Amino acid sequence: CSSLAGIMLLEVFLVLGTLLIYFLFSKKKEETLPFKDGWWGKGQKPVTQEDTSVRPFKVETTEEELSDLFRRLDQARFTEPLENSCFHYGTNSVHLRKVVSYWKNQFNWKKQVEVLNKYPQFKTKIQGIDIHFVHVKPPRLPEGQAAKPLLMVHGWPGSFYEFYKIIPLLTDPASHGLGDEHIFEVICPSIPGYGFSEAPHKKGFNSVSAASVFYELMLRLGFNEFYTQGGDWGWLICTNLAQIAPNHVKGLHLNMASVSKLGLTHLLSILLGRYFPGLFGFQDEDVRRMFPFLKKGLYRILSESGYAHIQATKPDTVGCGLNDSPVGLAAYILEKFSSWTDMEFQNLEDGGLERKFSLDDLLTNVMIYWVSGCIVSSMCFYKENLQKGIGTQKHEKLTVQVPTGIASFPNEILHTPQAWAKKKYTNIVSFHFMPRGGHFAAFEEPELLAKDILQFVGKVEKEQLWKKK
Amino acid sequence: ESVLSRIRSFEYSQKNAVLVPAAALGVGGMLLYWLRSGRKIKTIDMGDGWWGSGERPLKAKEDESIRPFKIETSDKEIEDLHWRLDHFRFTPHVEGAAFHYGFNSSYLRKVVAYWRNQFDWRKQVEVLNKYPHFHTTIEGIDIHFIHVKPSYVPHGRAVQPLLMVHGWPGSFYEFYKIIPLLTEPARHGLNEGDVVFEVICPSIPGYGFSEAPHQKGFDSIATARIFHKLMNRLGFKEYYLQGGDWGSRITTNMAQMLPQSVKGLHLNVVFIGKQGLGRLICIMLGAYAPWLVGLSREDARRFYPFMQKNVYDVLRESGYLHIQGTKPDTAGCGLNDSPVGLAAYILEKFSTWTDKSFLYKDDGGLESKFSLDELLTNVMIYWVTSSIVSSMRYYKENFSKDPDLSAHNRYSVYVPTGIAAFPQEILHMPRVWAKDVYRNIISYSYMPRGGHFAAFEEPKLLAQDIMQFVRKVEQL
Repeated sequence: CSSLAGIMLLEVFLVLGTLLIYFLFSKKKEETLPFKDGWWGKGQKPVTQEDTSVRPFKVETTEEELSDLFRRLDQARFTEPLENSCFHYGTNSVHLRKVVSYWKNQFNWKKQVEVLNKYPQFKTKIQGIDIHFVHVKPPRLPEGQAAKPLLMVHGWPGSFYEFYKIIPLLTDPASHGLGDEHIFEVICPSIPGYGFSEAPHKKGFNSVSAASVFYELMLRLGFNEFYTQGGDWGWLICTNLAQIAPNHVKGLHLNMASVSKLGLTHLLSILLGRYFPGLFGFQDEDVRRMFPFLKKGLYRILSESGYAHIQATKPDTVGCGLNDSPVGLAAYILEKFSSWTDMEFQNLEDGGLERKFSLDDLLTNVMIYWVSGCIVSSMCFYKENLQKGIGTQKHEKLTVQVPTGIASFPNEILHTPQAWAKKKYTNIVSFHFMPRGGHFAAFEEPELLAKDILQFVGKVEKEQLWKKK
Repeated sequence: ESVLSRIRSFEYSQKNAVLVPAAALGVGGMLLYWLRSGRKIKTIDMGDGWWGSGERPLKAKEDESIRPFKIETSDKEIEDLHWRLDHFRFTPHVEGAAFHYGFNSSYLRKVVAYWRNQFDWRKQVEVLNKYPHFHTTIEGIDIHFIHVKPSYVPHGRAVQPLLMVHGWPGSFYEFYKIIPLLTEPARHGLNEGDVVFEVICPSIPGYGFSEAPHQKGFDSIATARIFHKLMNRLGFKEYYLQGGDWGSRITTNMAQMLPQSVKGLHLNVVFIGKQGLGRLICIMLGAYAPWLVGLSREDARRFYPFMQKNVYDVLRESGYLHIQGTKPDTAGCGLNDSPVGLAAYILEKFSTWTDKSFLYKDDGGLESKFSLDELLTNVMIYWVTSSIVSSMRYYKENFSKDPDLSAHNRYSVYVPTGIAAFPQEILHMPRVWAKDVYRNIISYSYMPRGGHFAAFEEPKLLAQDIMQFVRKVEQL
């Protein structure tokens, strides 16, 4: 009898032991992403201490810059489009001619530079390179309330300028009818290699490097806890930041949430999700946006990812001509502002460009790439992130525990249902289907995005969710 | 007929006299049908097309004249080019990039300096004009071609017409070094010279001095048909074909379309699309026992390791194909406006597709196989004709109809075929798999050296292979 009891006890211990080991091992996925230190300046890292000053910065232009631009616009060589091709072959050159004419005759770069300079900008050296950022504090704060720091990261082919319409809605919500329970001070850096941030001189600068640099930036500015928001590359950089420093990121808000690790469940849900949505956790809106999968998923990926393929393999080649031809640069960048805002715009002769954006706004973004000469380095970022393939890097296997809010826009290139997102973002506090809008959410629908950010932050603050980790 | 009459000559009863012939007819009929259908070759339908602006004119007959043409340039053209070269905006590359990120911008600066200060476009135009050029209108667009006849034909020798088709980012100019070896072999020490050619090198519509199609849908089938019409217009009923890159696909389509006009087909690149599960199994087995699946040792050496050479390398090199196959107007826009951008884009291929190891060199190994004059002349052809965008559209027109290039695999090629397999070609196609489509391979040669731009890089090797192939065909 006692031996039997002994055996039973042993079995219980074995089971408990296994469970404990399994539990310990499964916790592996919750490990943090290590901070990636690096040095990206030219040549050897100097022995002296790095200059950590934060210097004010203003965008400037010169007559020489303008006359060079006009000369290139004047002597631009266009190729006639095929008959009835609209935007199916890429940017339609007939419409491009009209844009160039506006650019030359009506667009006022000096005035746009003043627009850019309306928000305070700064530069500071981190890990060997100059990081540019916009830092906007609220104009007024009610008694006893502190501004919440919010880091907003742009993507490609965007820039810090994408946030210019949403910034006032976040720093001064009351004046825009949005209630003043939460007021933000907003920091919008330029990713190294984009806009006025210096490009890394060494190989290997990927999203984890960018996240580490931005983490250092926030600490340098004196913020110990902050919110982050991003789409496109900003989605990945903010996600990495939440993985590197979960104790500092109060909340992570995304307007794009991709999953790069696709497994058997994903495959099954693609095949059967249309017929058994409930089984895979799909909502009606998920089904509406994802299916028919061949058209909205596979075919779309193939027809829209040519740029990513060439940028991830030969950025120096593809960017070369674009840094030399402003018209070529505009064609390349504006094509995305057409199809990524609404895929149906490809059927329009003007690509629907001015339906959601003004030419002034679109060209200001293009000019940032032009005057900073950053198109090649912006493309190198693709190679540094994607050259080993998708789904192969360490951070793609790790989950995110920070409270997350996802604003899912209907015209985003690919739809990620909450059922898939929650495998990576384990703490989704809010997930909303937005009524309209595409990839460039902050640029196109600033009010919708601001409202979603506010309600997300409201939830996190009310339940003090960041303390519950 | 003889069978039937022999049966009829036998003496039988009345009943048999009816039954036997009937049975004989039945059997004979079935036999005839079986024989004919077995031999009946499926050909691609020729069809027709119109590629000019607007609507096709109904009544007007097409102008079939063949008009001599000379390439010209002007001070204005050269000054405009010089301004753009002088004002090129250079981007520094990351340290240690070599050619791994694409065309190295430090080396590009040197190329631009040469281009601006030493390259003489007027002199190169004279070089281009040393062969006779012509234009003729087919299906609404002007087709450019050079036509080189041998200056001296030995008594009693036949001159073989040979159509050579270029690819992307090449041009008719790629054939300038090989043409004399084919039209005057004896003078260049190439064998007894019992085979002599007259060479026709057209420009694919949308490339170089051929007008670009104005309508959508211009693919390799349309090109094949137009080139058949061209040869017909020049008075040729039967001719040889040679091609690499797009030229390989176009000449293959030509052989699939009108086999009776094609005496022989010579290729330095073979494209066959996806094959299926059987092929996949052969690939996996072939890594361990190549002889088991019909692969030679050289095949195995060139083809494996499979993932590295056929998947990773292809993915790394096919970004251009992906963007040109989906958004050609976007991809080409800046290149038509920046000659330096155009040069970087095109010359990157002349580096990597000539030798994969050139990726590791700071100068991309470009001048180890080509002269800067030759390389820039090819780039200038794209520049002065503003044809980069239309050349890229060809990818979209072909791939959107046939994403994996397998639509024409069921049309077997029965014309005598010769394949020159160059070692540095991006993808190696073993003979045993080429036979799936090319049923009549007369010669298959493992070339000792050379890459994708065979005619440009190793004209003598290629010429020798073409001649030994044609000699074999003529003896058949």
